[in-house]
Amino acid sequence: MSHDHHNPIDHPEVQLASAGGYLFAYAFGLGAMLLGLWMVLNHTLTPVGLTTAVSVIALVSVIVQLYFLFKLDLSSTQIWHTVSIVMTAPLFVMAVGLTIWMFHTLMQRTMIPLPGMGM
Amino acid sequence: MLVDLQGPWSPIFGRLGLLLDVHYNNPVIFFAFQLVVVGGALLAFWLTCTNRWKWLWKDWLTTVDHKKLGIMYILVGLVMMFRGFSDAIMIRTQQAMAVGPDSPGILGAAHGYLPPYHFDQVFTAHGMIMILLAVTPILVGFMNIIMPIQIGARDMAYPYLNALGLWLTVVAAALVMIALFVGDFSHAGWVGLTPLTELPYSPGVGVDYYIWSIQLGSIGTTLGAVNLIATIIKMRAPGMTWGRLPIFTWTTLASNIIALTSFPVLGVALGLLTFDRYVGTHFFTADLGGNLMMYTNLFWIWGHPEVYFVVIPAFGFLSEIIPTFSEKPLFGYITMVLASMAIALVSWTVWLHHFFTMGASPGVNSYFSIATMLVGIPTGVKVFNWAFTMYRGRLRFPTPMLWALGSLFLLITGGMTGMMLSVPAINYLVHNSVFVIAHFHNMFLLIAYASFGAVAFWWPKVFGFRLDEKLGKLFFWLFTAGTLLVFIPMYTLGFMGMTRRLDYVAHTSWQPLLLLEMLGIALYTLSVLAFVAQLAVSIRDREKNRVTGSDAWETSRSVEWMTHTPPPFYNFAVTPVIHDRDEWAWRREHGLTSLVPDRYLDIHMPKNTAVPLIIGMLTLFFGFAMVWRIWWLAAASLIAIIVVMIIRSFDKDTDYIIPAAEVEKMEQEILSRAAGATGDTADAPIGGGAGGAYASRHAPSQSRKDT
Repeated sequence: MSHDHHNPIDHPEVQLASAGGYLFAYAFGLGAMLLGLWMVLNHTLTPVGLTTAVSVIALVSVIVQLYFLFKLDLSSTQIWHTVSIVMTAPLFVMAVGLTIWMFHTLMQRTMIPLPGMGM
Repeated sequence: MLVDLQGPWSPIFGRLGLLLDVHYNNPVIFFAFQLVVVGGALLAFWLTCTNRWKWLWKDWLTTVDHKKLGIMYILVGLVMMFRGFSDAIMIRTQQAMAVGPDSPGILGAAHGYLPPYHFDQVFTAHGMIMILLAVTPILVGFMNIIMPIQIGARDMAYPYLNALGLWLTVVAAALVMIALFVGDFSHAGWVGLTPLTELPYSPGVGVDYYIWSIQLGSIGTTLGAVNLIATIIKMRAPGMTWGRLPIFTWTTLASNIIALTSFPVLGVALGLLTFDRYVGTHFFTADLGGNLMMYTNLFWIWGHPEVYFVVIPAFGFLSEIIPTFSEKPLFGYITMVLASMAIALVSWTVWLHHFFTMGASPGVNSYFSIATMLVGIPTGVKVFNWAFTMYRGRLRFPTPMLWALGSLFLLITGGMTGMMLSVPAINYLVHNSVFVIAHFHNMFLLIAYASFGAVAFWWPKVFGFRLDEKLGKLFFWLFTAGTLLVFIPMYTLGFMGMTRRLDYVAHTSWQPLLLLEMLGIALYTLSVLAFVAQLAVSIRDREKNRVTGSDAWETSRSVEWMTHTPPPFYNFAVTPVIHDRDEWAWRREHGLTSLVPDRYLDIHMPKNTAVPLIIGMLTLFFGFAMVWRIWWLAAASLIAIIVVMIIRSFDKDTDYIIPAAEVEKMEQEILSRAAGATGDTADAPIGGGAGGAYASRHAPSQSRKDT
């Protein structure tokens, strides 16, 4: 127990790493970002549609990176990482969701309607 | 890229030229300056005279021992609480003096003695210090000291990170103290209301002090949260299953889950504000698509969970103190755990009740109103559990129990007024009145009561001697009288329509109540003196009040009472095996109170390191440089921090082994010292005092049957 834990290669979570997985996650992330950029630059959708599409792309690439870069799964070395993401995700959804709901109603009640905002 | 600034700026000194343009020249500040300088000089003089610099460096400044770090956290918290309390005295005095158009003004103020600009800084500093630099460090300190011992661990999961967390908290405190004398502090309230905190409205450095102090300190708190959670998950002694975890450890877990998930939101909110102030973005202005309500939203997404972050550990204190002095196991363990977790979860759905009056739809307000009321359910469960723990218990009332009971009363009154405030219709009436202020002070006082109870409760464990009971009780009653006299009038004034943050009170009819509050603050001041006297007398009489066994209260229940008092730096000679939920009570019942194990084993411990202190110092330079926009210093200290971190990451010599023989020698020494104090032999079961008997000697009759 004295000094072997200093060797990072011995850590099980490091051993899970794979070059193929890293490259795939990197390429996927880059592709998703370029896709989002292209959609925004070319005004491919309405503002609301664009926001939705970019959010979906972001969500998918987050999941891909969590799996391929951080290797989140249910193995004994990774389970606490997975538990923490599973516990954080609802908080994130709740905070963002409730904020959107609140600002949406606030906008309806206080602002002049803008075209394309679905009001 | 950088925004244009009003006033002087030079490449070498940044905005320090602003200091030549003094905003107010005030004997109040001068007095505080003298207090700090003379106090610091006396301390340095004492350290030099008693030749203690080396001791300070070796035993404290470079330590990674979780107990010492915890003590330093609490010390920082208490010092900052004194500072925040001084601000409270100033607020109360100003409001009591500045009533009606005929009230005189002195020291450059039109009414009272504080000009509005100074008064605004005082209440901002008071709020920010009390919440982030007093209550939070005190609670984190207790988690640091007690939790690892409670789960049978030798240290935290990351001792080095733990020290770093402490020093970053110290940096936050240091920046606020520097702001008192060098430049000024934010005047926009502790929440940092936008657009008041935006550069055009606050062109000075006050808001920058506020931003960097909170930002750097909250990084420390986040690191601490990671560490505490990892420790609870990974470092439990054999047999310490989730179902046997002491309640204080459960509350530590719940509260740090909140910290870990919510502090990053604060970091982002302040980060965006920093961008607004430094590089001219418009996140929280009305220009270019910015939205000032977004700051309030982000701030309270952190801010409300933070409120539960500080209250849940206080509930943990009560759950340890009340069973000990009721001589009964805690009633409803499972429901207590579930209630802590439920509060942590619900804490994430209630933040909008801080701005019910913003103009959101009735649907939104109803949702957040109901979510807020839901918190009352788990809290009610806890109150009933404590009540049922006391029911038919053998109650004793030493100071920790008095504080715990006071805490319960405050929880009930604070909870009731919280329920009132969660109704949007009532909230519209009393919003931003001092009724709200009285409510949240009520809740924070609950935490203060539980913390003072915890100080009295665990003091003998940490230092090996008891606190003076007589002065402790005087402290309790003076503090309680102060609480009643300050906050009952404040609730009343809230109903009468007095708004918060007034530097001038127009209605003369409010004066009697304000004077009553003044009397309350005087009693608080006396209580502080009683507390200081209690500490001084207890330290003077420490030999007389020394604890002989391991269990200072003789009816304690959890694992931290199973090791020596005070615990050696390695906590346990041999990692204990846990058999029961209330392990120490179980061992007492089965006569297993001996602290001598069958055999000793090697112990693996972390080495002291100065790196966290160095990073802390560099962070202080960085924070100061960012506040005054001295770019070269900021860049240099940031690069130095990164370099130090890289060097540290290559340091493989961070731990050492204490051989079993040496552990045995140290243990023999502790045991023989304890035996010398009791006149006992080292082999006799020491600890507990009850010597394994079921009931303590405090029981009215040992043969009494529970009928």
